Amino acid sequence: MSTPQDINVRQRPAVAATGGSTDTILSTARLTKNFGGLTAVDGVEFSVSEGELRCLIGPNGAGKSTLLELITGQLAPSEGDIYFDGTDLTDLDPHERIDTGISVKFQSPHVYEDLTVEQNLQVPLQRTDRDIESVLSTTLEQISLVEQADRRAGDLSHGQQQRLEIGMAITLDPKLMLLDEPVAGMSVEETGEIAALIRSLHDEGMAFVVVEHDMEFVREISEQVTVLNQGEIFRQGPIEEIEADEAVRRIYLGENA
Amino acid sequence: MIEATATPLTSSTYSLAALFFQFLNSFGFIILATVGLAIIFGMMGVINLAHGEFILIGVYGTALTYHAGVPLPLAMVAGVVVTTIFGVIIERTVVRKLYDRLLDSMVATWGLALVISQLLLIVFGSSLDSISTPMGSVSYGPFSSSIYRSIFLPIVAVLVLAGLYALFTRTEFGIKARATIEDPETARAMGIDTDRMYVSTFAIGSALAGLTGALYAPALGSITPNRGSTFLVEAFVAVVVGGPSVIVGTLSASGVLSVFNATGSFFFGTFIGQMFLLLVAIVALRVLPDGITGYVEDWRQRRRAEQ
Amino acid sequence: MSWRVDAEASMVDRLRGRLEGPNTYGNSRLFWAGFAIVVAAFAAYPQLVGVYTVIQTSRYFALAFLALSLSFIWGYAGVLSFGQVAFFGVAAYTFGIIGLNFGSATGIMAALVGAILVGTAVAALVGYFMFYGGVRDTYVTIMTLVIALVLNTFMAQTAGSEWAIGAAQLGGFNGMDIPSLTLGIGQSGLVLERVAFYYALLGALVVAYLGLRALVNSSFGMTMVAVREDEARTATFGYNVPFIKLVVFTIGGALAAVGGVFYGSWGNYIDPTVFGIAFAALPVVWVSVGGRESLLGAMGATILIERMRTELSSGIGPIGSEWALVIVGGLLLGVILFMPAGVVPTVADRIDRLRSRRADNARSTTPTEEAVE
Repeated sequence: MSTPQDINVRQRPAVAATGGSTDTILSTARLTKNFGGLTAVDGVEFSVSEGELRCLIGPNGAGKSTLLELITGQLAPSEGDIYFDGTDLTDLDPHERIDTGISVKFQSPHVYEDLTVEQNLQVPLQRTDRDIESVLSTTLEQISLVEQADRRAGDLSHGQQQRLEIGMAITLDPKLMLLDEPVAGMSVEETGEIAALIRSLHDEGMAFVVVEHDMEFVREISEQVTVLNQGEIFRQGPIEEIEADEAVRRIYLGENA
Repeated sequence: MIEATATPLTSSTYSLAALFFQFLNSFGFIILATVGLAIIFGMMGVINLAHGEFILIGVYGTALTYHAGVPLPLAMVAGVVVTTIFGVIIERTVVRKLYDRLLDSMVATWGLALVISQLLLIVFGSSLDSISTPMGSVSYGPFSSSIYRSIFLPIVAVLVLAGLYALFTRTEFGIKARATIEDPETARAMGIDTDRMYVSTFAIGSALAGLTGALYAPALGSITPNRGSTFLVEAFVAVVVGGPSVIVGTLSASGVLSVFNATGSFFFGTFIGQMFLLLVAIVALRVLPDGITGYVEDWRQRRRAEQ
Repeated sequence: MSWRVDAEASMVDRLRGRLEGPNTYGNSRLFWAGFAIVVAAFAAYPQLVGVYTVIQTSRYFALAFLALSLSFIWGYAGVLSFGQVAFFGVAAYTFGIIGLNFGSATGIMAALVGAILVGTAVAALVGYFMFYGGVRDTYVTIMTLVIALVLNTFMAQTAGSEWAIGAAQLGGFNGMDIPSLTLGIGQSGLVLERVAFYYALLGALVVAYLGLRALVNSSFGMTMVAVREDEARTATFGYNVPFIKLVVFTIGGALAAVGGVFYGSWGNYIDPTVFGIAFAALPVVWVSVGGRESLLGAMGATILIERMRTELSSGIGPIGSEWALVIVGGLLLGVILFMPAGVVPTVADRIDRLRSRRADNARSTTPTEEAVE
């Protein structure tokens, strides 16, 4: 059931994060995905501005991961378009979309276990024109894995592997980073480290779409939040408003009922 | 006066019959060659490239026993028993270390195949005396077909498949075995001895290989140690074309491959027939990466999702 | 790695930078000294032994190309092909066909180039068919084997005289004659036989080895390893994985083709058994035993295993070759069960661990760090 307020939310363009530009870098139009009889994503008009940090939240089954998979190209939309940096992504294969400037980090760590930390970073890095030596040392510092550079990635702790994964995504120097639950299963300390890392990258102008359940984390990093429910955009706005919103709390409670 | 000359109609009928018997011949062969390998691959994900040599052990077991004076049916039983025991030994020593290493299991069993075939060559020489094919043949027009190979064995093949179906769907063992394949963790939690399941399944696969060897011992002509690869090629081609389902996969793959094999052989000779079979396999693998039954399963899932 | 070497390094250092890296064994001065000694020894070999041994060793060198081709695609990119012999054999046959039709020195040179091109093209075709068709893992292995067997079956029935391309009779299971490799232009040139052939092969093998070393230690090598380790993940970084596998497989095909030309001209003969299941198994044995990820191991194992087989066959007659195969099969079985990475990587690993343990003992008093944070 949509109220007049909801309709306004859907039609209003994305509000840029403070300090970012208002140029849209990612936008979806009428994006829909059906699986047989189930509509996972329904007419979503989602847009992110350059340099913006947007969190995507919602109850389980809201369609958050599906939305990400549509953007990366792992799933083909049933309807609608996706534009990134002026390019229509529809006809691009997943590996071609990466070249447009999107970088992804999925939920579960998928590092190259038998390679060293440094080699792991090298794999994505060597695709770019950036200077390998300097980017490697900068990235290792950013993800706080300088000491572990020569360690086998499979021997790292869960949190370290997550950081390595973010590092691998960073080396591609993307304009937009998609993070799917980056702090799942992490301790409070590790979560804080990731939050600091994301904030510092954001300060340098990188745009983010972060899917997360951990509200503490969301509060730490973002200003603008999009709430997805049953495949549709339910609410969009600053984090304080969303948290105070009765309707949002109800849809979360609804899943526990 | 009625002249009994061959009219075009009768000669084409004879040709059709010959083609049909050729098909049955190939059909029976492929099913029997494949079924042991399919059980082991379908149930345990192990590709036993020594499968051809297992069959060979069944052949040698039968032939040696027969030439020692034992009547053929009993000699065949001996062949099956020998192969089963051998299979269990191999499972306990080699195969159990390779359950989660698919490519390695292929390479290791290849090494095993080499050892077995060469040892057979060394110990028993380059060939054994052949066993004459029982049941004779039937003639029709210019053609004749062996009753044993073109009628008896295909029937046995289908009966074996039917028996396996009954084993895996109607018996307690079968149900436990399928549970183990679906989800070994859960199976163990329900008290099933998964280790015993694996040994038993491998034993059944070996017994089936032994059965094939025993049945074909009188149908091979000369018995030489390099015959293993004849069985192996047909078998693993049929397994991958058939897909994950053991019984339906083996049946459908054998049917498809035999049609091409028989047609090619009948019109152009055995070499071309073999080539047709291999080429069909290549195309099938490319078009249906999960085999025939894999494709059917995908199609079924898609239909279910749409409802 | 090559990007580590700065501009002021000497030429030797820069060369070493290209040739050394995490993807090959032997990255020290000691290694290169040893390598130089071994190459020198092989170069001196013909002066020390009889012609017959030289001829036999040339055959092992030709087969080493086949081993290199499998080690490259399997050890580094994870593509296990049982059908490298297909490209090996196609090149041998093509060399024969062109060479028999154009017997001049130029003709033979053209045959050499043509055979390698054809072998490589066939590999590219097969690679395209498989990798762009989504054929995965074990199915690639089976498909490559089936392709070799198709060639085996086809060539075996080309015995009739109607099976000829120009002046070249394909010969069926009787095989086909192949001219000797000749270098030159015009009507005559240097015919490479016996010792000359040996040196040509040794040179080609060393060049191929060093080239492959440089390749696997470059960023392309890193890409190959990434594809082997986790294909899906590598694709998420923007790599076109089917294309990468195609390139790798084509290079492997080219290596096999070079070996095939040498092999055909070595015996002046080729027959369909080159496509058969028994011969197709051999590269898998050599590479598994020597070490998948070790180019040197692959070559070394080939030479040693084939030498062992020749010794046994000629030593005690036909039963010797049978026992040789029993040993080969047993080696394969044993290696997979007990030393799955192969001899060279396992030994290198043990040496590494011994060295680090000794270094640790030298530093002994400080407690070692915990592996888990």
